[in-house]
Amino acid sequence: MSKLLSMQNINKSFFGVKVLKDVNFDLNSGEVHVLLGENGAGKTTLIKILSGAYTLDSGEILIENKKIDPHSYTPKDAYDREIVTIYQHFHLVPHLSVAENIALSNFPGHYGMVAWKSIFHNAQEALENIGFSIDPKLKVRDLSVSEKQMLEIAIALSKNVKIIIMDEPTAAISKKETEILFQVIHELKKKGIGIIYISHKLEELRQVGDRITILRNGYNVGTLDTTEIDLNKIIRLMTGHEIRRTQKSRKFSHQETFAKFCQLSSPDGFQDITFTIKKGEILGLTGLVGSGKTELARAVFGIDKLPEGEIFINNIKVRFDSPRDAVRFGIGYLPEDRDVDGLCLNMAVKDNISLVFLSKLQAWFFSNRKEKTLVNRFVSHLGIKTPNISQYVKYLSGGNKQKVVFAKWLAADCQFLILDEPTIGIDVGAREEIYDLIHDFVKDYQKSLLFLSSDINEILNIADRILVMAHGKIITEVDPKETTKQRIMEYCLTGQ
Amino acid sequence: MEEKVTEQGKKMNKISVSHLGPYVSGLLRRQIFSMFLILLLIWVVLSLLSPYFFTVNNLFEITLQSAVFAIIAAGETFVIFSGGIDLSVGSVFAFSSVVGGLVFQSTGSAFLSILTSILAGIFAGFINGAFITKLKVPPFVATLGMMGIARGFALILCKGIPIYGLTKGYMWLGQGKIFGIIPVPTIIVAIIFILAFLVLKYTKFGRFTYAIGSNSEATRLSGIHIHRVTLGIYMVSGMMAAVAGVIESARLATIQPAGGAGYELLAIGAVVIGGASLFGGEGEIIATLIGALIVTTIRNGLNILGIYAFWQYVVNGLIIIIAVAIDQTRRRS
Repeated sequence: MSKLLSMQNINKSFFGVKVLKDVNFDLNSGEVHVLLGENGAGKTTLIKILSGAYTLDSGEILIENKKIDPHSYTPKDAYDREIVTIYQHFHLVPHLSVAENIALSNFPGHYGMVAWKSIFHNAQEALENIGFSIDPKLKVRDLSVSEKQMLEIAIALSKNVKIIIMDEPTAAISKKETEILFQVIHELKKKGIGIIYISHKLEELRQVGDRITILRNGYNVGTLDTTEIDLNKIIRLMTGHEIRRTQKSRKFSHQETFAKFCQLSSPDGFQDITFTIKKGEILGLTGLVGSGKTELARAVFGIDKLPEGEIFINNIKVRFDSPRDAVRFGIGYLPEDRDVDGLCLNMAVKDNISLVFLSKLQAWFFSNRKEKTLVNRFVSHLGIKTPNISQYVKYLSGGNKQKVVFAKWLAADCQFLILDEPTIGIDVGAREEIYDLIHDFVKDYQKSLLFLSSDINEILNIADRILVMAHGKIITEVDPKETTKQRIMEYCLTGQ
Repeated sequence: MEEKVTEQGKKMNKISVSHLGPYVSGLLRRQIFSMFLILLLIWVVLSLLSPYFFTVNNLFEITLQSAVFAIIAAGETFVIFSGGIDLSVGSVFAFSSVVGGLVFQSTGSAFLSILTSILAGIFAGFINGAFITKLKVPPFVATLGMMGIARGFALILCKGIPIYGLTKGYMWLGQGKIFGIIPVPTIIVAIIFILAFLVLKYTKFGRFTYAIGSNSEATRLSGIHIHRVTLGIYMVSGMMAAVAGVIESARLATIQPAGGAGYELLAIGAVVIGGASLFGGEGEIIATLIGALIVTTIRNGLNILGIYAFWQYVVNGLIIIIAVAIDQTRRRS
C-alpha cells in the first residue's frame, strides 16, 4: 500500500478567521479515508484546497510523494493529477442527455462532427461500470435527485482517477443505490484508488471506511482506524470538551402560548411537525444539513407551499399563502443566505432597512425625512457600521449585512422572528452582538423567536428550549440546561 | 483693515473649497453628471460645425423632437429599473393612437379620444404585466409578442389607413406654443419627468420598482406583492407610450397605424445612455431625460450637417453599444 496523498500542516484563514490550523491528512492507495466533523469544522475547506479551488496559506501537499507548489495549484492541476471531486450540488447540464453529460469534458469528434456512436458507447460503459441502469438518451432535467447523484458518480469514475473525493454522496440516494455505491467503492479500492469520503451517517462509516479523521474548529483532533471507534468516542471528539459558557442569565418561565404549529407535513422534507412557542421565548431548532429545518421555516413563512397542517397564532387559525400574508401577521424571516434572499445588494442601507416598513405602510406616499429618521435610529441602535445610510449594502461586512436584515424586521415592528443560521459567515464579535439583539428582542416577553442553527454550541447558549430534527421529523425536545452537546449530537446523528 | 478683510476672504475661500472638494468629486463620479457634460460637449461641437445649431429656435426644436422619445423612455425607465424590458412600446404607441383615433372619428371629441388612447396604452401594459407575472413569460419574450400583437391590432382596427382631420384643440398638444416660443410637448415632458421623479422618490411603488430590480426574491420575502408592482410598472410603460402617441399624432395632425416603429430602441437607448443598469435596481430618471436629449441632439446634428438620413440608424446603434460598454467598464472597476 503506497501513499497517494499527504497534506502536512495545512493552514488557511478567511478574512482573518482561521479555518484550518496545522491540519495533517493523508491517504493511501486502496483506502477509504472518512472525514468527519460539524458544520464549519473545516472539511469542505480542506477538500477544496486539495481540488485546487482554494489556495492554502501555509503547509505542504505531496501527491504520490511528489511535492507540489501549492501557490500555483489550480483545479486544472488537480484534474491532471487525476483527483476528482463528486460534489453534493450537481454540476450537470440539465437539457443535455445523460450520455452527453458523461462525454462533456472530453467530447469525441469525428472530422469535426459529433461522434454519437462513441458517445453512447462510452456512456453505456460508464453506467455499467457502476451498475447503474438508465437510458443514456434521457435528458438530465428529467432525472430524479438520486439518479442525478448516481450520474455524477458515473461521470467522475469515467475519467482516469487516482483520488476521488466524495462529499456526502449518499445524502440524496436510496438505500439500494447506496449499496450499489458501496460495491463500486469496493471495486475502486481493489484497483488501488484512494477515496476521501465525507458523511454524517455513522453506520456507513463503519461499512466503507478504513480510517476516520475528525476535524473540530479547524484542528485535526484524531485519526483512527474504523475498527477502534465507537459512537461515544466519535461524538466526544467531534464536540470536544469545551466548557460551556454560562447562558446570559436568563430565566424563562413565561407560559402564555404565542403560536401553535400542528402536524405540519410537506413532501419537500418534513413530516408531522407539532410544536408550540411561548411569548417571549427563544425556541431553538437544530439538526444536521438535510434534516428539514430550513424547509420547515420556509413553509411556515409562506415561501413554499404547506400542504398539510395548521398554524394558530394567539389562538387564531392562520394560513400563509405567501410571505406577504406572514409579514402582515407580524412575522419576519432572516434567511439562511442573506445575500440571495435577504438583501437588495445594490441598494442603499436605508432602502433595505425601510423595505418591510414600507410594505406594511397603508399610504402610497412616504416622507423621506421620516424614513431617514427611522433608519438612523436602527442603524445606531444596532450599531451598524456604515459610512452613511446611502452606502450600498454590498460593501458591508457579513456581520453588518446581517444587522441590516435584522434592522429591516425590527423597523417594521415584528412580533415573531424566524432566524435561519443567522451567524453563518460572521466573525466572533459580530456574533455576540447578534446574540445581544436576539435577547433584546424577546426581553419584555411579548415577542418570540425561532432560532434555527446546526451549531449546537450556539443553540445551547441562546435557546430557552431546543427541538432536535432529523430526517424531517422532530425527534426530541430538550432543555438546554439539562443536556449536553454530546447528547444533542447523538440525537442528530442517530436520529433517535 | 484691508488686510483683515482679505485674510477673512482667504479663510472663507479655504472653507468653501474644502467643503466643495468631496461634493465635486462625488458629482464627477455620478454617471448623470458625466452624461450631462457629454451632452454639452456635443452641443459645443455642433455649434462650431454649424451656425444654425446653437439658436434658440433650434434648441427648442430639439426639445420638441425629443419629446416623444423622452416620454416613452420615461415609462421604459420604470421597466428597466425593475430589471425588465419593454419592447412593445413602439407598437403600443401606434395601437393606442389608432384606438383613440377611432373614438375621435365617431365622437369628434378630442378629450374622449385622448382618454381612450391612454386607457388603451394602460390596457396593453396590463396584458404585458399579466403575461410576465401570471404566465411567467420572461419580459423580453412577453413584450416581443406584444410588439407584434399591438402593431397588428393598430393596422387591423383602421384597416391600415391613417386617420386625418384632428381638431385644433387636439393639435395644440403637439404644435402649440406657450408664450409663442416654448412648445407644448416640451412642457408636457417637463411635467412627466417631475411626476416620475416624485413617484420614484416618494412613493412605495417607486421604491419597490428599484427593489424588484435589485433582488426580486428578497423583495418578495419582505412582504411585497411583487406581481402587483410589476403589473403597475408595465401599465406605466404602456401609458407613457400612449401619451407619446397622442403628442406625435397632434404634431403630425394625423394618426399613423405604422407610426412608432423602432421607437422602442430609441427609448431603451435613452435609458441606457442615461446610465441605468440593464440588470435593474439602479438609475435616475433625470438621466433618462439627458439620454433622450443626447439621442435627439445627434439626430438633429446629423440633419443640420446634411448627412444622409439613414446614417442615423447606424449612429443610434453605436451610441447604445458604447454607452453600455462604458457602463460595464465602470461597474467592473
